[in-house]
Amino acid sequence: MSATATITMSALPSKSTIKLAPAQSHAEASSSQAQNQPPKSQKQMTKTERREQQERQRAAKAATKAAGPQPSGSNQNSAQVKKGAPPAASTSASVKKGGKGPDGKPTKDTKETTSDDSARGLRIFSHFGLPKPPGPSKGDIHPAIIRLGLQFSEFKIVGANARCISTLTAFKTVIQDYVTPPNNTLSRHLLTHLSPQITHLVSARPMSVTMGNAIRELKLEISGSDIDLPEQDAKNLLCQKIDDYISERITIADQVIQETAGTKIKDGDVILTYARSSVVEQVLVGAWDDGKQFSVVVVDSRPMLEGKKLLSVLSAMGIPCTYLLLPSIGSVITEVSTVLVGAHSLHSNGAVFSRAGTALVAMMAKQHSVPVVVCCETYKFAETIQLDSFTKNELAPAGDIFSSFPLTRSKDTLTLNKQLNLEILNPLYDLTPPSSITAVVTEVGVIPPSSISSIPLALGRTTL
Amino acid sequence: MATDLSSVANQRVVDTLAARLRRRQVVGSRETALETVLVLRQVISKARFSNIDQLVEIIRSVGRKLVEAQPKEHTVGNTVRKVLHHIREEYHTASKGTAVVSTSKDTLSIAKFVLQGQPRKQNVPQKTTLNESHDMLKENDADDPDAFARTLKPVLMEAIQDVLDELETVHDNISKNAKDHIHSDEIILTIGKSSTVEAFLKAAAPYRKYTVIVADTAPSYGGHDMAQSLSSAGISTVLVPDSSIYALMSRINKVMIGAHAILANGGMFAITGSLLVATAARAHSTPVVVCAGQFKLTPQWNLYHEYGALDFADPSSVLGFEEGNLVDKVDVVNPFYDYVRPELIDAFITNDGDHPPSSVYRLIKEAYDDEDYEL
Repeated sequence: MSATATITMSALPSKSTIKLAPAQSHAEASSSQAQNQPPKSQKQMTKTERREQQERQRAAKAATKAAGPQPSGSNQNSAQVKKGAPPAASTSASVKKGGKGPDGKPTKDTKETTSDDSARGLRIFSHFGLPKPPGPSKGDIHPAIIRLGLQFSEFKIVGANARCISTLTAFKTVIQDYVTPPNNTLSRHLLTHLSPQITHLVSARPMSVTMGNAIRELKLEISGSDIDLPEQDAKNLLCQKIDDYISERITIADQVIQETAGTKIKDGDVILTYARSSVVEQVLVGAWDDGKQFSVVVVDSRPMLEGKKLLSVLSAMGIPCTYLLLPSIGSVITEVSTVLVGAHSLHSNGAVFSRAGTALVAMMAKQHSVPVVVCCETYKFAETIQLDSFTKNELAPAGDIFSSFPLTRSKDTLTLNKQLNLEILNPLYDLTPPSSITAVVTEVGVIPPSSISSIPLALGRTTL
Repeated sequence: MATDLSSVANQRVVDTLAARLRRRQVVGSRETALETVLVLRQVISKARFSNIDQLVEIIRSVGRKLVEAQPKEHTVGNTVRKVLHHIREEYHTASKGTAVVSTSKDTLSIAKFVLQGQPRKQNVPQKTTLNESHDMLKENDADDPDAFARTLKPVLMEAIQDVLDELETVHDNISKNAKDHIHSDEIILTIGKSSTVEAFLKAAAPYRKYTVIVADTAPSYGGHDMAQSLSSAGISTVLVPDSSIYALMSRINKVMIGAHAILANGGMFAITGSLLVATAARAHSTPVVVCAGQFKLTPQWNLYHEYGALDFADPSSVLGFEEGNLVDKVDVVNPFYDYVRPELIDAFITNDGDHPPSSVYRLIKEAYDDEDYEL
């Protein structure tokens, strides 16, 4: 009998607490008040006290869910609420009065619900967040690294190879300037010294696979360095190893790829390339220097419009070029004989992670039976499997930092900034499925996409 | 055979429109269609003719002039054909009355069936005024050469008003069933700025909560206007560059694009980028829906498969003069339209219902008369 009575009693306050829950998120004030009273059983409590207990429980639940977004200023809101007035009236009171805290509090609550509605739009890329400019450096960051971080965040250095080479060069400087503190070995302490530098670079721009692979190799070398070597010799050895890495895995690899891919280009070919890959640029320049007569179609797209740089290099050499933007590719693809693209990284399932838009180019080419050749060094191999373009991607910063809009259109008509209900996303990479790729040219040979997972074997590693 | 006296005024009106079309001062399917109808209305109201053939010839010559001025705007020709179709219908109704229906029923053969298409348009409601003028429809009357024109003109004006009404209510009719095509929490991809798609999406917005991803089709960047307009209507919108279309396609439930002209085989001309979108959608088995008015149905085929409609725009929006030293060394391509094959399209939503691309030929047969395919 009494149990049912309590149930019907509790049904009432639950309706009113629903109104309260958005207005209060921190139950701390309410719980502190409750602690002043001795705990009573439900039968002994009056109606208001039972109601207050329900509210406290609900508030506690809401607080654990919404922990964080509301600052503690809203405590004072809930403190006002507890002043004994019936919950409905107190809700309106707290909302109207604005609390003792800063003014925007209740409006912030309502705004949160509306921003939830408008931001329901796309949470596909919400796990990236937008890139922020690198904050003040914490700890001892070498000035070379600071400069590099700035260049990364402003997209002055772009491209997987360029970023890797610049990172390794900067690390050479760091290593040369490094002094082992007493009672420490170089092989152990250097690693801890490098960690904050790497973190700083990652905060400027997410690390590329090439940088990751190179740094992993570097760490391996450091931890394997001989303890007995005098410090300067050890440092020189490390710098030498870095130089060897750059030379073997990047420079010489590029030359091998240039020769291999160059054999695929014949006189009279029309080569299509997308955006700007340093490797493809070398291939085309090398083939032209060998005397082959071909023409190039450069396809370009926002947000970065990198193809223009490639265009200036190629046309300066006298190669006949055509330039167009990505949507127009359907009109020219029938005249193309080969598609050459670069990659950011290769994955075990044969997928190629590359500049956004490459997947479209590869798809259209495959539709028209045009071979798609990816030119890529083996150090870009990532042992992970990637199935879509969402799990690992990067968003370009908002605004028009690449000046990628034509001058024929005034900037006022273009939507450059976020507004209510409008979000602007500029993913920089996308994943080309293995079905769209014909072959991958690496320094260990020309391989079909299904064999990408055996690249480590080809490099002589017995285990993955 | 334009009659001499009133032909001067007529020609001025027609020439003005032809000049504007040639200079591309009037662009866009719906605008050109509306202008064409207004010009035709003026031409017909001032025209003098004694029999139906003269009238048809007048309209045809006007149509030919306009189409020659701008062959890329297919809706000009379509509107002329539609007006001719209506005129012939009204004329048949006026002169023969219900006899038309009975003749079609008498001789039922496969050939007749195919030629006439579905007989639904034959049941034209009898206008009471015509019953009186039924006896008075004199053709080639030597005494009173204008008698024929006089009696027929009011009917013709009504017919043209029908065409005009249809053009003006295109967006409303297409958006009528918008909420039945979109489900909650759907993500729809669209490109460029199509007023038809915009009206469609805005019509569904009060009933469904969904998201629209707009690709900012370079180099016209119509996507920016579209995104602004949709977001200000309360639809949650995301603006992305065209390069991410394939990347996002796996999350997209439906692709909705507009058309410039729908061709006789069910394919269409649409803004550059539509072919990319449709192909990417096909690769992910995402349905592609095209919203277009019936005035875009064109009884023509695409002979130039590579460059959609062989229509090119200003290259400086691709590579401007700010890249000074590149401009003369490089070829720049900037086609206006893409040709999208019928196999890539799943449905056409028109103001006259929804149709798959395979039935477009039937729609064209009903909308226009055979003899008008070649103006």
